[in-house]
Amino acid sequence: MFFVDFFYTLRSYGVPITTQYILELQEGLKKGLAENVDDLYNLLRLICVKRIEHLDNFDRAFSKYFYGIELPASGEITDLNKLLENKPFREWLDTQMREGKLKPAEIQWKISPEELFRRFLKTLEEQTEAHHGGNKWIGTGGTSPYGHSGNSYGGIRVYGRSERQSAIKTIGERRYINYSDNAGLRAENIRQVLGTFKKMVPIGPKTDLDLNETIYRTAKNAGEIEFIFKPELRDNIRVTLLIDNGGYSMSRYVSIVSLVFSKIKDRFKDLSTYYFRNCIYGNLFSDPQRLKDYPTKKFLSNNPVDTRVLIIGDASMAPEELFSPRGAIEYGVDDTEPGIVWLKRIRDRFSYSVWLNPIQSSYWSERYGSYTIREIRQIYHMENLTLGGIKNAVTYLNEQE
Amino acid sequence: MNIEEMTREEEVAGFVGTDRYFLAPELGSIVNIAIVMEKPLLLMGEAGTGKTQLAFEVARALSMKIYVARCKSTMKGEELCYDHDTVARLYESRFGSAETERDPAKFDDYIVYGPIGKAFLAEERGVLLLDEIDKTESDVQDNLLDILDAYEFTIREIDRKIIAKNKPFIVITSNAKKELSDPFLRRCYCHYIEFPTPEQMRQIISLHYPKTDEKLVDVALDIFYDLRDQGFEKSPATSEILNWIGALEHEDISPSELRKKNYKERVPFLGVLLKRAGDIQAYTNNFHRQHNSNIFKERDY
Repeated sequence: MFFVDFFYTLRSYGVPITTQYILELQEGLKKGLAENVDDLYNLLRLICVKRIEHLDNFDRAFSKYFYGIELPASGEITDLNKLLENKPFREWLDTQMREGKLKPAEIQWKISPEELFRRFLKTLEEQTEAHHGGNKWIGTGGTSPYGHSGNSYGGIRVYGRSERQSAIKTIGERRYINYSDNAGLRAENIRQVLGTFKKMVPIGPKTDLDLNETIYRTAKNAGEIEFIFKPELRDNIRVTLLIDNGGYSMSRYVSIVSLVFSKIKDRFKDLSTYYFRNCIYGNLFSDPQRLKDYPTKKFLSNNPVDTRVLIIGDASMAPEELFSPRGAIEYGVDDTEPGIVWLKRIRDRFSYSVWLNPIQSSYWSERYGSYTIREIRQIYHMENLTLGGIKNAVTYLNEQE
Repeated sequence: MNIEEMTREEEVAGFVGTDRYFLAPELGSIVNIAIVMEKPLLLMGEAGTGKTQLAFEVARALSMKIYVARCKSTMKGEELCYDHDTVARLYESRFGSAETERDPAKFDDYIVYGPIGKAFLAEERGVLLLDEIDKTESDVQDNLLDILDAYEFTIREIDRKIIAKNKPFIVITSNAKKELSDPFLRRCYCHYIEFPTPEQMRQIISLHYPKTDEKLVDVALDIFYDLRDQGFEKSPATSEILNWIGALEHEDISPSELRKKNYKERVPFLGVLLKRAGDIQAYTNNFHRQHNSNIFKERDY
């Protein structure tokens, strides 16, 4: 059994694996699918990676196991000290400096750590190319660690040998870094998450044959056929967004909120949006400039109880904004009752409601607003406004059935 | 060059040339692995990356028959395997079946096989395409597990198991509108097709418009990838740029003219690249903002 310990490396990098994958690899090797490390990379990737958010970690595990290089995690790539913990990289850097190709000052000031690492990978790639793909691992004495016993496959050969993409190059490009689970939001991955968010109910035109009813009626009719049709299932989800778009604390998240919003708008036909500043009181606003009042009571009574309510806000405010009557800092808001009363009312009416917070959850308990965040979390299920967070929120809402 | 490599080369030429399909080397290797391992290949990626096209190209390259199942959100999954024409059976049991020569007493006479059923019963190995699987409900995907795993399904009403005579090469595409379930993913080999890089896009264009001025393509690619970076709701994709180049060529627009228009007026044939009214509006706003910094509009989110 080859490379079994590779699977444990994968696991330590957070890529889920099963025993089945190990067996599949043995089968693939027997069929001669990995004649060199580049083919092996493709084979292993197909066997082991089922979700795009795991690809970057797979690349890191592969590079660690087969090239002995620890690729920095997504946040560490700009940190030169972290990179220097990597022995091959350090050695490469030493050689470069000894040969005068790089000067210490350049490393400190001119070239970004990211660029240095890229150059390092490029050197590595050229080295493996020079050995005709035969790197250390495969080239020992001309025998590969597994036999490809002439079991060649006569199917399609859709690629020329010279065009082959080398594994180290693919890995070095880090194409999938943006997809890792804790990565920020980008247009394509939000859409992916919102797709799970739907509710199918029979409201379409009556086009599906109701077989049981048809047989029953036909029998009743003494064999005279009577077809009965029923409506088809259609997506009938109502979504309402409540967005905190006021105040200094939210301003830094404007671009991410507007991105999420545009994608949500894209996804749902039946979507209404209201705005508030810091906390919700007796009225919401139906325009982003917060000029047009919309009574919160009307919002509560006009929307059916199964409306999905997504609240996007940082939940960070002064305690009196949440707990005191007349606590609103926004002019022209009916705040005779404290905000927390209104938040509870909304929650009581809409059991499918969830709070998305652009502040990372790790900071929820340790920065300005931690008190109000904690209080609001007593009322609402709160998630991060990240890919993983939206995914959790959607799962949470779907489980409320 | 030995003989084996020569045949390989030829097949490459045939595969790419005749079908005007650009195949990234990595993808070719992946198709091979999936075929040899007899695993369904799940292709993900945004629209315009050639996911569906790939299945057709593989079928053509290997001269296999292709069976296409286009998924819809209302599907249950079973109808992809077989359907039973109850209405016809009822009708014929009442009014006679002399014309069709079917026997209403026999269940078999009224079975209609779907694409999966046809692919399984075919005498020769084919390609089975399940297009846009993400449109279906997750229980549909669960219903398909046996098909992906064991290449078999059961006709429920008569408890008959249909096992594939020749395991078809299954290609599944997904626009990632919806997350697929873990058991489903485990049974597939998954590959995410990246949007073509400018270099790859140049090759795709040259396959479709071999005679187009290279300088024009350069300028067009610049503008195209710049537009894609602006984050429109519906970003222009491969088919858009191909149509656009076609339009530019037809109108005989020179590279310098194109560049000038892009800066001074606006991109010619914008409607070919951007399809949504909102996107065109956003483009126009941006354009004015860049050229007239006095105009400031509050970002409406």
